[in-house]
Amino acid sequence: MAVSPEAVSVPVGAGRAAKSDLRKLGIIVAIALVLVAVGPWVLPTYMVNSLIRAFLYAAVALTVDILWGYTGILTFGQSAFFGIGAYAVGLIFTHVGYGPGYATLAFFAAVVGAMIVAAVVGWLAFYHGASPLYGSVVTLVLPIVVSQILYSGGNFTGSSSGLSGFESFDVSIEAWFWIAGVFLILLTALAWIFVRSDAGKVLVAIRENEQRCEYVGINVSRVKILLMIVCAAVAAVAGYLFAGVQMVVAPEYAGFVFGTELLIWVALGGRGSLIGPVLGTLVLDVSTSYLSGNLPFVWKLIIGIAFVVVIVALPRGLMPLITGAFRRLLGRGKEVRAESAPTLAAATEQPFAGLQGGGAQALAVSGVRKHFGSLVVLDGIDFSAQRGELLSLVGPNGAGKTTLMRCIADGGERSGGTVRVNDHDIGRLPPYACVAFGVGRKFQNANVFETLSVAEALRIARSRLVRPSLSQHSTTLELPEVALQVIRATGLDRDLQREVRQLSHGEKQALELAMVLALEPSVLLLDEPTAGLTKSERTLIGGILVDLAQRHRLCILLVEHDLDFVREISSRVIVMHQGKIVLDGTVDDVVNSELVRTIYAGGAAQAAA
Amino acid sequence: MATLLDIVTTAAILFAVSAGLLIVFGVMKIINFAHGGFLTVGGYSALAVTKLGWNPWFSLAFAFVIGGVCGMIIERLVVRPLYSRPLDAILATWGLGIIIGQGITLAFGREVQFVQSPVSGAVDIAGGSYSEYRLLLVGIAIVLAIVLGLALNATRLGLVTRAVIMNENLAKGLGINSGLVRFGTFSLGAGLASLAGALITPLSSVDPNMGVPWLVNAFMLVMVSGVSLVSLGVACLVLGGAQVLVSSWGNPILGGLTIVVLAALVLRFRPQGFARD
Repeated sequence: MAVSPEAVSVPVGAGRAAKSDLRKLGIIVAIALVLVAVGPWVLPTYMVNSLIRAFLYAAVALTVDILWGYTGILTFGQSAFFGIGAYAVGLIFTHVGYGPGYATLAFFAAVVGAMIVAAVVGWLAFYHGASPLYGSVVTLVLPIVVSQILYSGGNFTGSSSGLSGFESFDVSIEAWFWIAGVFLILLTALAWIFVRSDAGKVLVAIRENEQRCEYVGINVSRVKILLMIVCAAVAAVAGYLFAGVQMVVAPEYAGFVFGTELLIWVALGGRGSLIGPVLGTLVLDVSTSYLSGNLPFVWKLIIGIAFVVVIVALPRGLMPLITGAFRRLLGRGKEVRAESAPTLAAATEQPFAGLQGGGAQALAVSGVRKHFGSLVVLDGIDFSAQRGELLSLVGPNGAGKTTLMRCIADGGERSGGTVRVNDHDIGRLPPYACVAFGVGRKFQNANVFETLSVAEALRIARSRLVRPSLSQHSTTLELPEVALQVIRATGLDRDLQREVRQLSHGEKQALELAMVLALEPSVLLLDEPTAGLTKSERTLIGGILVDLAQRHRLCILLVEHDLDFVREISSRVIVMHQGKIVLDGTVDDVVNSELVRTIYAGGAAQAAA
Repeated sequence: MATLLDIVTTAAILFAVSAGLLIVFGVMKIINFAHGGFLTVGGYSALAVTKLGWNPWFSLAFAFVIGGVCGMIIERLVVRPLYSRPLDAILATWGLGIIIGQGITLAFGREVQFVQSPVSGAVDIAGGSYSEYRLLLVGIAIVLAIVLGLALNATRLGLVTRAVIMNENLAKGLGINSGLVRFGTFSLGAGLASLAGALITPLSSVDPNMGVPWLVNAFMLVMVSGVSLVSLGVACLVLGGAQVLVSSWGNPILGGLTIVVLAALVLRFRPQGFARD
């Protein structure tokens, strides 16, 4: 892989930036460790006890932040995993026995149990096409089910009073403080590294635009389920430690109300900031244990009011306010994006990655039908296309062009017929699987990730071929030659760090095209790629498309209304009308066709009259 | 026979409790987690009527008005900025539920209290006796369903509301004040929730957290019903019936889980739930 000659000049050595970030993290971790080390000696005992509990709650809040703040999964259910971890200790120490062996057994029971439950919940909540609301519904049902099972467990689970008085670890309160504190600090540091890594950006991409993620080949359901499993395991470990130190477990710890309390802490601290939820939990939980004695109801009322105000007026929580104040205090202007621009490089191309051979026929559509109830949108579409063809789909609005595109890119869309991409039947497979067969789809309206940077968005598009690192923030961005071409021709290579939402409409269209090309597709579906572009931008895109078809042998299917544009670039044209193909031929065939003129002039009925 | 009556009365209660949530979800596409709080408001409105020694029947109207007024204030202050953030709306309304619960605790204390029932005693049906009030609730739920159905389908206001449900932007373009429709809907939903709270209190008792278990069941029922009153009725009968059967032949705690678990499973395999396609 050769670094391209025009590689973007990097203002701050990217490697150095990453290192200085790590150094900063190291310093903060060291300070936190020192604070935890001296804590038990300087703090009053009651405070030490409260903080141990708050440390463990904060660890769970951290998982809520990863799921909700970063990935956009509003979860009420992390309390259930905390409860599973706690009850693993309570049940085994009470009914089986206590000892190092049993403690280990309880640990594995906690973690494995939570992971299994999380896998089932994830399967239920995050199936392909599930709405975000449904996912939240399932995470809401989970703690209710778990706590009710605990209530109904009779003497075994101790029912509503829970289990207490079991023998537990012979560890001093100071040592528990250190254990819980170090656990929280390490967890936070790991989470911090993870969310800044390339893989962490995938989570943000899912939150921003799940559909686009599917269409760049990411199996979103799988990512969410895996994340759920990991977060469940972490929450279970926190619950395990909690039961170990408190020597009491109760159904409330697995319940729905505790689940919402976690959300409140995360929201007040500042979702999507890691440190905000941790500090939020520590401050709120400790102050609750001090204040709930004096002003029990008023304190909860104040929390409730603060929560509502934050959700309505400060969706990012209180953390940005505090850090902003600090910055002003230190006289350091506005927040700057920490990451410096990566170096662009040409990737070793791997077309047809994961496929056996390129296939004889790029695209074969036969008998494809689509109806919504009784409304027939596509009525027996048959055509095939070869590599190197630039095939334009034209026809009046409502002819079914976009629907046809959808049916090729998502196996779940069509009502009948078959679609074969590179000789692979797409069956009922979801979009990410169709991407693996070589389909790349660009949507009609620029469909991108608004809060990511240009470079991050492109890297997400590469994640199908280049497994994103779980710990590193890459300093080079390798893209196939064609994607580089688009980026350079449109000047996006100078804007790699810019947030996507700041781009112009034309730049977003170009970015999406580059993202699709980064997939190394062999069948490119483009839905009005030039809509809303200026004349010069159009010419530019047209030239790129012709080059893609002729030099790179892509099969391009283009939906387009601008017939002049179609005439200039297409090698073949299909005319659709009312869900059927009415003409399939060369540009000349179509231009000279009486039929096409009548369709565009206002329908066949008028022509007959 | 008693089981059958249990099923029908349970369904009626569930319908009354869920109707307000359904109306709000249907028009506004947001889940009002303060619904539980409004139920509690209704319960305490009934308690206030009892304490003042007024006629218990009056508590229904009183609860409806109090709940509606709360809804009006809350829609203006809290819900309005959240229309474009439906998941945040869940959280903010849950926070409102906490505020309402704590406010009630401060005003009335946290202990369990009892409300006078407008009707007491039992009637003899098919060889057994059955609570007269529960039977009465069936009638009230049916009246409620008919009134809401007529209001939505046979009045101009209902037509406007349905237009907002189907396509809010288009409705706006046609000069419908959708903000006002939302305001009215939220207030109506809150009023209905509060009314339902007053209806259920004679069966049990009031305490500041009485709304939460009802909220969860109502939420799940609305999820499987889409936005139709008819499918809500069907869902209440089917899932409420299942709850009664599991409680009486299995275990009451499992019975309490029936609705949430079945609803989640129904949605997994049939995302539109009990609604027609």
